Amino acid sequence: MSENSVNGLSRFAMEAAVALLTGAFGIAVAYGSIEADAGWTDMGPGAGYFPFYIGLLITFGSAANLVYAFVKHRGTGEIFVDMARFKVVLGFLLPLVAFAAVSTVLGLYVGTTLYIAGTMIFQSKYKWWAGLATGIGVALFFFVIFEIGFKVPLLKGPVEAFFGIY
Amino acid sequence: MENIGLLMEGFGHILSFNHILLMMLGVTLGILVGVLPGLGAPNGVSLLLPLTFSMDPISAIILLSCMYWGALFGGSTTSILFNIPGEPSSVATTFDGYPLARKGEASRALTLAFVSAGLGALAGVVMITLLSGWVANFALRFSSPEYFAVYFLAFASFISMGAQSPFKTLVSMMVGFALASVGMDTISGNLRLTFDIPELIKGVSFLVAVMGLFGIGELLLTAEEGLRFDGIKARVRLSEIGRTLIEMPRYWFTIGRSMLIGIWMGITPAGPTAASFMSYGVARRSARDKSQFGKGDPRGIVAPETADHSAGTSALLPMLALGVPGSATAAVMMGGLMIWGLTPGPTLFTDRPDFVWGLIASMYLGNIVAVILVIATVPLYASILRIPFAIIGPVIVAVIFSGAYQVGNAVSDMWLVLVFGLLGYVFKKLDYPLAPLVLAMVLGDKAEDAFRQSMLLSNGKLSVFWSNGLVTTLMLVGLALLLSPLVFWLLGISRRRRLGVPKPPQDGTPAA
Amino acid sequence: MKKSLTIACIAAAAASVAMPAFAFEPDRPVEFVVTAGPGGGTDIFARTIQAIITKYELMKAPIVVVNKGSAGGAEGFVYAATAKGDAYKLTFGTNNAYLLPIRAKVPYTEADLTPVAALASDEFVLWVNGKSDIKTAADFIAKAKAAPGELKVAGSQSKDVDQILTSMINDATGADIGYVPFKSGGEAAVQLAGDHVAANVNNPSENLGQWQAGMVKPVCVFKSERLKSETKVAGNEGWSDIPTCKESGIAIDNYAMPRTVWMAAGVDPDAVAFYTDVLKKVSETPEWQKYLADTSQSGTYMSGAEFSDFIKKDETAVSAVLKREGWLAN
Repeated sequence: MSENSVNGLSRFAMEAAVALLTGAFGIAVAYGSIEADAGWTDMGPGAGYFPFYIGLLITFGSAANLVYAFVKHRGTGEIFVDMARFKVVLGFLLPLVAFAAVSTVLGLYVGTTLYIAGTMIFQSKYKWWAGLATGIGVALFFFVIFEIGFKVPLLKGPVEAFFGIY
Repeated sequence: MENIGLLMEGFGHILSFNHILLMMLGVTLGILVGVLPGLGAPNGVSLLLPLTFSMDPISAIILLSCMYWGALFGGSTTSILFNIPGEPSSVATTFDGYPLARKGEASRALTLAFVSAGLGALAGVVMITLLSGWVANFALRFSSPEYFAVYFLAFASFISMGAQSPFKTLVSMMVGFALASVGMDTISGNLRLTFDIPELIKGVSFLVAVMGLFGIGELLLTAEEGLRFDGIKARVRLSEIGRTLIEMPRYWFTIGRSMLIGIWMGITPAGPTAASFMSYGVARRSARDKSQFGKGDPRGIVAPETADHSAGTSALLPMLALGVPGSATAAVMMGGLMIWGLTPGPTLFTDRPDFVWGLIASMYLGNIVAVILVIATVPLYASILRIPFAIIGPVIVAVIFSGAYQVGNAVSDMWLVLVFGLLGYVFKKLDYPLAPLVLAMVLGDKAEDAFRQSMLLSNGKLSVFWSNGLVTTLMLVGLALLLSPLVFWLLGISRRRRLGVPKPPQDGTPAA
Repeated sequence: MKKSLTIACIAAAAASVAMPAFAFEPDRPVEFVVTAGPGGGTDIFARTIQAIITKYELMKAPIVVVNKGSAGGAEGFVYAATAKGDAYKLTFGTNNAYLLPIRAKVPYTEADLTPVAALASDEFVLWVNGKSDIKTAADFIAKAKAAPGELKVAGSQSKDVDQILTSMINDATGADIGYVPFKSGGEAAVQLAGDHVAANVNNPSENLGQWQAGMVKPVCVFKSERLKSETKVAGNEGWSDIPTCKESGIAIDNYAMPRTVWMAAGVDPDAVAFYTDVLKKVSETPEWQKYLADTSQSGTYMSGAEFSDFIKKDETAVSAVLKREGWLAN
């Protein structure tokens, strides 16, 4: 994937960003471990002993990866994902975020129905009734399997409460 | 052998139409539980438990144990078809199972998995039949230092120098260890790495992590390639199942070795998940041609599946012979035993031989029933794959989200699975290996607990790790496995220098 | 930070629930939150109650059991605590409900929970390996004193009931016995059967199987009188043959772990009354007696003021131990 692309997320930027992210995670882990006693007591290691060094190793590895990113990927023109495909990925990812957000507020049954119906109708250009029917069908299937069959509750929200189901 | 006679009597107790029907019911429910990633075998078994109160103990244990087998089988199905491990122990099956299915050989991959799983389970039962007493006594010799050595051994056998940057492997593995240590620490009883966030006190669930990393991550990759399951749509023909069955004997060596690894990891309490990883690691390492691993090598399916099931079956031995649960599912079954009026423990063999040998006999039959039933479902799965991605993609997402929620009944896990999904997508595109992260999450906190328990037992003396023959041997084998790739690598370099041979293509830890 | 909400929630809950006959009766599924993993003592406790309620139709609404056992059960109690005023969640635990907030920085306090009832109390027994030459509690203490710091007791969880008891033994006898935490009583039982530790203080049901096989043997029970069950469970010995620790060399009078049921703070008192009544009926069934006998627990039903008083007393006693060891979270 080393064409002379200008439009796209550069591989170098992603490498560097991920290295910085894992580095920050490593620092957070090391910091959290100090709070949890990172010493070696006379009865062996404390609660934070191993996590502290794990945090340090993450930070060290991330630093090495960052250097590596500069050495190997900078200015090569390699791209992580080109713009057209990036849009497709976003088109898949954003509904996922919406799904999680809607489910958090309205519960998983409503979230599932809306998500499946939404992606089918707006992304895949199915007829509205086909999308809605599939969405409701899957949600009903979940209800029968989880709630009735296995007695394992899924998250419910105000809509179910309104209908007096839960 | 006396045991064989007892086993035959056991068959006498269970061979009835009703019992076979119960087996089929249990296996079918188990498959369902296994396929849905949020419902695990322990959930399913504890749910059926109240139903069994009115049954006689033999029928009850047949139903529950068959549900367990079914769940183990069901877990591999989604691993192969959608890259979503339905059960924790089927993570390693995704490494080669999913790529093989994507090549259009879904039914071959499924058949390979099911048959080797069945063989693995049979190996476990044979071991229980013949060696239960001896193995139980052997298991009693294990204390925390030995446990630590076993975890170390499992880890050492999987990790190897790969094509990926060693620092990326390091970061990935350490992130796994760090995630495993979030929550309440067993040894001190204190919370750590929770940063005062209430959602973190229960820790980061392994299942949520793999559903995100593998399931959502893979869906994002698929989306990037144009929202289609490409090759997977190929039609399933029954002849393909038959051809795969004929192909099986070719892997006899991999199967045999994986059985041993599985039994070993099942009776030492490392469990099925670690067994499948270790078996996969050893299979890849010992293969002459490594190039196909991670791209759909049949051995990469056979090895983890065989080990997974032989470990899962062997894990019932501590319950029967010692009266302690070897796994969460066994713990639930033991609770059942008490409610049915039996006392789990060594005396069960003498007090209620009909029950014990009935159970063992049902393990043989149950697994055979399970293999037949799951192979019969292969065409069903194939028909699922013919549904267009525009429909099945969102449905898979919904299954993952509800599964993530069910793992801990926590809203925060739905967001966590999304974060792990993004991480999986980005890591995979940047050649960070995911397998070390996952294995570190499985073994990390167990290994740490065992290490610190050893320190408490020995008043802080590190010499406890070579204090007896058993633990010393385990540690030495682990060290040898850890260092061998390095040694071979150095040898390879020096040989190439001398002969001027170009470097052969090396595969790494599978990026899965 | 959560207390300010409580009063508002009581008002809201009281306003929304108003029913004739039994001032409160659940009309939708009731969640049983188990603060332990599947198969643990608390799990069997809750599921036995579920089975009995279903069998005798003591409640019309269906029951859903949810396991939230991470962080020593804190996961479940936090879940309960955040559901203020929710009359459809019962939380099942032990005395960990009020001990956890004292010893660890968990995001809930005892004030976030409403005690409903205690239905059983699990006993503690000092066990040693079956081949050990230790016969009485006095032998055990003498051996511990001969090698300070060398004898180890295995137990379930850290700074929980098992370790608190070990600390009490040290305090009462002046011995120096070490403690090694494992994930469950089952693991502690294997460690003792394999002779890797000197003793454990498991509940009777956790070591029964190994006792019958002669892998472990009981030394004494931490109770003011002997256990009542007369049946011979291991050879010609039964629970009532185990001497009390007090009479045989460890001056600890009574140490038991209540099995308790809780709701969130701010629930309608009528709801608490309803569940108290249901649980009372459960405790009177033959199935419940069988469960108690099978797991060798004592059936002590407590609710209302009696239960609250017990909590206060238990809390004070245990806090003293936690304070002495320096395990207080705050």
